Amino acid sequence: MPVPWEALIPFGLLTTMFAAAGTLVNVSKRAQNQGKPVRYGIDPWDEMMMERDRRLTGHVRGQSTEPIAPEGFATSSAWYTEKTSI
Amino acid sequence: MSAYKDPSTSSKPYRDPTPLPESVPKVQELGTTSAPLKSAAFFIGAYCKDYNDDFMLCKSEDRDPGHCLKEGRRVTRCAQDLITKMRENCLADFDKHWNCLERNNHQYNLCRKVERPLNKCMFEKLGLVKTIPGTPEGQKPIHEVEKPIFTGVQK
Repeated sequence: MPVPWEALIPFGLLTTMFAAAGTLVNVSKRAQNQGKPVRYGIDPWDEMMMERDRRLTGHVRGQSTEPIAPEGFATSSAWYTEKTSI
Repeated sequence: MSAYKDPSTSSKPYRDPTPLPESVPKVQELGTTSAPLKSAAFFIGAYCKDYNDDFMLCKSEDRDPGHCLKEGRRVTRCAQDLITKMRENCLADFDKHWNCLERNNHQYNLCRKVERPLNKCMFEKLGLVKTIPGTPEGQKPIHEVEKPIFTGVQK
């Protein structure tokens, strides 16, 4: 009797779609985190440090080892309170 | 209504409408981000112990932001000094360690293999030892245990 290969198409489809969705999620997460694994279990301290990293480097996952901060860092946390002219 | 303007898109630097008085000396802020800082944390504790203790005791008297500015400046300058020295002497090991931390959710126990060369280099070049305060007497500090029980997920 010939093998009912048409019946195996849904299984193949399931496997492919599962793998595709997983890969897409992983790639998307890595792209948002500059290619590094995502940070989990973040507490308010980590949130504060990541916000500081964003002010220093422009991205929450950006890192730098400069001892001196760039110009404008000392007051950049106050920007949120700046009055806008709109 | 006011629209939210992201500060990073601004073309001009922020102009502080109420700057500190001229009598307050200026200090440049520390530019190190979270992962290198976490990597250097115990060495900052060893190198800058006096200034850090001074600042914390001063703050424990009065939590007012304007109270301990002098001690705070000293803390910042000491940390900058150490980061500069670390970069001069142990840059390769330092970079490897904080990159490892950055990829492992900033957990020390997942980066022990990379930490050992850094500790060795810091001890040889700068004489700084990583000590974990509060380790029970007679027990080996966790960063010196060769075969720890809790390690990361097998990759």
